[in-house]
Amino acid sequence: MAELSFPLPDLGEGLIEATILEWLVAEGDQVERNQPLVEVETTKSAVELPSPQAGTVVKVHGEAGSVIAVGDPLIVFEVPDDTAGIVGTVPAEKAPARRVRLSAVLDDD
Amino acid sequence: MSETLSSPLSPAAGDGPAASAPLTLSMQGALNRALGEVLEDNPKALIFGEDVGRLGGVFRITDGLQARFGAERVFDTPLAESGILGMSVGLAMAGFHPIPEVQFDGFAYPAVNQIVSQIGRMNYRSRGALPMPVTLRVPSFGGIRAPELHGESLESLFVHVPGLKVVSPADPHQAYHLLRLAGSMPDPVIFMEPKARYWQKGPVDPADAGALEGARIARPGRHLTLIAWGAMVARCLQVAELAAEDGIEVEVLDLRWLSPIDADGLAESASRTRRAVVVHEAPRSSGLGAEIAALVTERCFNTLKAPVERVTGFDVPYPSGDLEDEYIPNIDRILFGIQRVLEHRRG
Repeated sequence: MAELSFPLPDLGEGLIEATILEWLVAEGDQVERNQPLVEVETTKSAVELPSPQAGTVVKVHGEAGSVIAVGDPLIVFEVPDDTAGIVGTVPAEKAPARRVRLSAVLDDD
Repeated sequence: MSETLSSPLSPAAGDGPAASAPLTLSMQGALNRALGEVLEDNPKALIFGEDVGRLGGVFRITDGLQARFGAERVFDTPLAESGILGMSVGLAMAGFHPIPEVQFDGFAYPAVNQIVSQIGRMNYRSRGALPMPVTLRVPSFGGIRAPELHGESLESLFVHVPGLKVVSPADPHQAYHLLRLAGSMPDPVIFMEPKARYWQKGPVDPADAGALEGARIARPGRHLTLIAWGAMVARCLQVAELAAEDGIEVEVLDLRWLSPIDADGLAESASRTRRAVVVHEAPRSSGLGAEIAALVTERCFNTLKAPVERVTGFDVPYPSGDLEDEYIPNIDRILFGIQRVLEHRRG
C-alpha cells in the first residue's frame, strides 16, 4: 500500500484558490477513478473535481467554506500496490472461458 | 557527471537472506529488483527517461532507485525520445551503460532514427571500437485499456534492424533474469516489457536463472506447438490447459529472444509435435509470425502435418481500449487456429 496526496489543481488560468462547497466523499470511502470528489467554487464557477485515481480516502483537507490554495493538499488516498499507473487499468484476472471445442482424430503416422 | 560514479550501497547489500529462496514478486517488482542490482554491479550503468526519477516511472518500475543511487545515476529527461536515445548513443560511446526507458511503445517512433541509424550500427560502423551497450526498456503491447499509441507491438520493426537484440519476458522470473542479463550485455537490447502482465505475481528464484538463451518450453506437449512471447504466453498457457480437456496436448514455446531468433528451438519443437501455431498481438502482415512460419517451414517441411497457422492482431492501427478485446488474439481465436491445423489433410 502507498499513500498518494492530490493537491488542488489549477482550475482555470489565473485562479489561485478555491472554496470548498461540499465534500462528496468521506475519509474511509473507497473511490473510483473519475468519481466526483468535491464541489469547489472559484471566482469563475462552481465545479466538481473528479478523482485522479481509485483508492481509499485517508484524509480530506478542509471542510465546506474552507479556502484551499492551488497546489495545497486537497485529499490523500491509500492505493494498493497493484494500482494502475497514470495511464490505463490493471487487467482483470478472469477464469479462462471458451466457446470453441477441439475435435481431432490424431493419427500417429 | 563523474567518471568514477560509485554505488551508495555495498556490493552485498542487494542480496540478503532472500537470495537463496524463491520470492513472490509482480513483474514490476522483479524488474525493479533487477534494475537495482544492475546499478549495484556496474557503476557505469545509468537509468533515465520520462518520469523514471522522482516519480519512479508511470508503472513504478524504477520506484525508489533515484533515492538509492542518486539523481546522477537515475534521472528524469525532457519529453523527447530522440533526445533520450541520442544521449544514450553519446553515453555509450563515452563508456557508460545507458538503461533508457521509453515510457510507452508508441513513443519510440520519434527515436527510430537514433535506434536504427546509430545504436544498431555503431559497433559495425566503428569496426568494434564503439560498442553500444544500451538496454532500452519499452513497456509494450496492449491489454490495459490505454489510449492511442500506448498498445503497440513494435517487435517486427526492431527485429528487422541488424545489430539490435530484442527480448520480451513472459513472467516475473523471466523478467528478472533477462533484464539482469540484458543489463550486462555489450550489445544494444530492446527490452519489451508486456505491460498487461506487470501486476501478476509469480515465483522468482534469484539464485537459479535457468537457461536464458533462446526459446523456452513453458509447457511441454506432443500434439502441437503454440509459439508466443510477452503477454501472449500466459494466454497460450490457458489455451493449452483447455486443449488438454479435449485430449490435445499443446506445447507452449515462449520465444523470449525475438532477435536473434531461436530457429533451432523452433524447429526442434515443431519437428516433434509436427504442428505449429504462432500467436502475436501485432498486425498479421509481415508480423514476426510470418518469419516464424517461414523458418519452421524451411526446417520442418517434410515433417509438418499442416501449414503453420498464424493467430494475430489485424492489419489496422491498434484500436482504442474499448475495442482491444476484439483485436488481441483471445482464447477462442487461438483454439480456432489450433482446430484448423488439426483438421488439415494433405491433398
